[in-house]
Amino acid sequence: MSLNFAQQENIGFRYVVDALRCDSPYGDARVRRLRFYASHEAEALLEDLGNVCAVMDTFEAYAAEYGRIERLMMQLKDIRRSVERCAEGPLNEVELFELKRFLLQSELIAPVFAAINAAAKLRGIEIRAQSEALALLDLDGQHAATFFIPDTYSQALRAARREKRLVEEELRRAKTEAERAPLMATRVRVAAAEDEEERAVRTALSEALRPFLPGILACMDAIAAFDFTLARARLARRYGGVMPELTDGVIEMEEMQNPRIADALTERKRAFTPVSIAAGKGATVITGANMGGKSVALKTLALNAFALSAGILPFAKKARLPLFDGVHVVSEDLENVDRGLSSFGAEIVRFNEVMAECGLGNAGKKAEGLHMILLDEFARGTNPEEGAMIVRAVTRYLNRQDAVTVLTTHYDGVAQEASAHYEVVGLRDMDTARVKGEIAMASPEQGADVIAAHMNYGLYRVEREQGCPRDALNICRLLSLTDEILSDIETLY
Amino acid sequence: MLLLPLIEPYRSLSIIGMCKNAGKTTVLNRILSEMQETGKTLGLTSIGRDGESVDVVTQTHKPGIYVRKGTLIATAVEMLKYCDISREIVGTTGFPTPLGEVVLVRARSDGNVQLAGPSITAQLAKLAGTFFSLGADVAIVDGALSRKTLCAPAVSEATVLCTGASYSRDIDTVIEDTAFATTLLTLPQQSNFSEEERAACTGKALFRMEDGSLCPLPQDLTLSDALRSPAYACVRAVYVSGAVTDALLKPVLTAGKRFEGLILSVEDGSKLLIRRGTYDKLALCGISLAVARATRVAAITVNPFSAYGFNFDKDELLSRMQARVNVPVLNVLEDVRVEDMAWHAEDMRRIAAREEAERNTDCSHCCGNEELI
Repeated sequence: MSLNFAQQENIGFRYVVDALRCDSPYGDARVRRLRFYASHEAEALLEDLGNVCAVMDTFEAYAAEYGRIERLMMQLKDIRRSVERCAEGPLNEVELFELKRFLLQSELIAPVFAAINAAAKLRGIEIRAQSEALALLDLDGQHAATFFIPDTYSQALRAARREKRLVEEELRRAKTEAERAPLMATRVRVAAAEDEEERAVRTALSEALRPFLPGILACMDAIAAFDFTLARARLARRYGGVMPELTDGVIEMEEMQNPRIADALTERKRAFTPVSIAAGKGATVITGANMGGKSVALKTLALNAFALSAGILPFAKKARLPLFDGVHVVSEDLENVDRGLSSFGAEIVRFNEVMAECGLGNAGKKAEGLHMILLDEFARGTNPEEGAMIVRAVTRYLNRQDAVTVLTTHYDGVAQEASAHYEVVGLRDMDTARVKGEIAMASPEQGADVIAAHMNYGLYRVEREQGCPRDALNICRLLSLTDEILSDIETLY
Repeated sequence: MLLLPLIEPYRSLSIIGMCKNAGKTTVLNRILSEMQETGKTLGLTSIGRDGESVDVVTQTHKPGIYVRKGTLIATAVEMLKYCDISREIVGTTGFPTPLGEVVLVRARSDGNVQLAGPSITAQLAKLAGTFFSLGADVAIVDGALSRKTLCAPAVSEATVLCTGASYSRDIDTVIEDTAFATTLLTLPQQSNFSEEERAACTGKALFRMEDGSLCPLPQDLTLSDALRSPAYACVRAVYVSGAVTDALLKPVLTAGKRFEGLILSVEDGSKLLIRRGTYDKLALCGISLAVARATRVAAITVNPFSAYGFNFDKDELLSRMQARVNVPVLNVLEDVRVEDMAWHAEDMRRIAAREEAERNTDCSHCCGNEELI
């Protein structure tokens, strides 16, 4: 896992994980301990993702079955520890009760799963009813959802219970404490005998269960896998997930979504502009206006590549990308200034860490698999002239490496060092007069919101090299920067 | 006199004591025994732990809880080994206690049980519902010592209040304090604030004005500041969302102002943590109390025997208590003859030995009673 918690939070990955709602505690545990696929496990990932798609494809047609299995899984309780304890010693009556409940539930879940699976044909997931183990615990054969050792189970138990019952009947008839006392004493003795026999029965049952424990645990794992698959399918339906085509370096993403940002915008009654981008080994540069969503584009790409390695379908219309062994983000706002470094210094330190993790730079040792490096406004904290030179050199270096690099920048002269150049459409096609009018109508502090509403967050590929766009000047004009300063800027351009 | 006719109308019942050794368990056993004739299925639990055979606080003998076949009980896992009924586990609740999760058990024989149920009101309320869904006709909650006991009425339709010589050496104190507890438990139902209004109350208090309008207590004002300020002169009723304590009311009572007809409401009796003196002063100031969830006191039981080695005259205690309250009063040991109380003599010896050792320490048993009243 190449991103720490804060970075996962920053790109919107934690938000996606929190949106994964499993029905059973087994599925929840699976979400808490996400498995990340390495690049050599591409086949297993594709099988896993294929299962998610198969659930999506059958979701409508088998809505009743899915609804039923969800309800059944919701009733499960996590009793893995009891099962593990059973391997070592006898279970108590409550543990046996809970195990019986699980086994009964497995008998209800298995046929519903089978009905779904006949159509979905999930690979590597099989929920089997644990009928043999249940037969051991279903002592009276009633399939009752309770646990009681019936009198008929053993001679000794029957004898003890019978004697106890007789004493109790006498006790009910007894009027005085003098009559009751000897009866109570007898009762204590008989109840102890009953307890002793029940304990022996529980020990024998626990032993008899032992051969079935691996099967029970496998059943729990299968439920976890199915529940997790179902949760991912629901997530993909909600935010538009697509089966990706795995490549060995090429990225072609069409209309990617970022659920966290999209939901935040929806709350503010605005819509997320999907991000489309193509990149490959070497460096790809995104330039564009302030407020133009360069960082959002970068985060969205990071999210989708990272989520893929956790077995989550990319949120996109179409997705072609490699399974990366590491997705690395260098962003000033994520750097820890507690290290006593300036934000710029911290960024360089982080950059070096990323280089080492990818086996690049001074590390000199090739790391396993393919890595993606995302630089958000690298070196923005230093003086622009030096910053531009640094970013140009970094871009030139990364463009030669066997890794996929995407970076956003403000600086001129970076794009020509990269293999591909994207620009945020920004204010290019804006109807200036109209926006000016709207700003005039709005209150001064809402000016930025008006511009945001007219900003085109889409990316377009820049084929013929040109300088960075001059949207900053446009924004200054629209927001009515002091006239004297404005005219001065214009003479400087 | 039987308890059964007094409690029969209610579907859920709580048993609470003014102090330890008030005879709560004896009352519970009497109810269990009288109920067996009716063929009704009981659901039984406690607030926190109860039912030990020796009182863990006073080291005196305590009767066990003896249930009949068919009874449903909710108790913590760790307590099951002390339950000598034949047990059928019928459910788990997910309610944790220091003694393990609370589980539901059906008694498949008569026998002794030890109860350790949840101590959160919401969980107790839910548990009662579970009892009914499992086929219980009546749910009984056994309360424990301390102010927590007052949660019990909040989750039941009616309460049996147990009192006795263990509460105080002074029979007047026993009677007056029990009567006061009864008053707090039987406060009238308030009618000024709807359930929605109470649920939406995020601040400390709500005011109902003379003109019917609703107004929350401003963040920067205390209840007494507001009530004394002229801006709130036309308040008709107050609803306090949390607990009402002596400290909260003192500034109001010492303001030297009359609040004629003002009704002070709280959620239920458990939210009133006030002394008898405070209550009397409220009445003098023209303030009356009301609760959103009213309960009934089905009966008061008195126990003339103290766990601390002295007894009251049983007839005097009974008749004076009866004269003082408007609720049926019974002697908990009415049908028990002295020779049946061998354990009592044994306790007397143990207590005498202990009191010898503690001769100079004053009335240690009184602690805890203060907070109840």
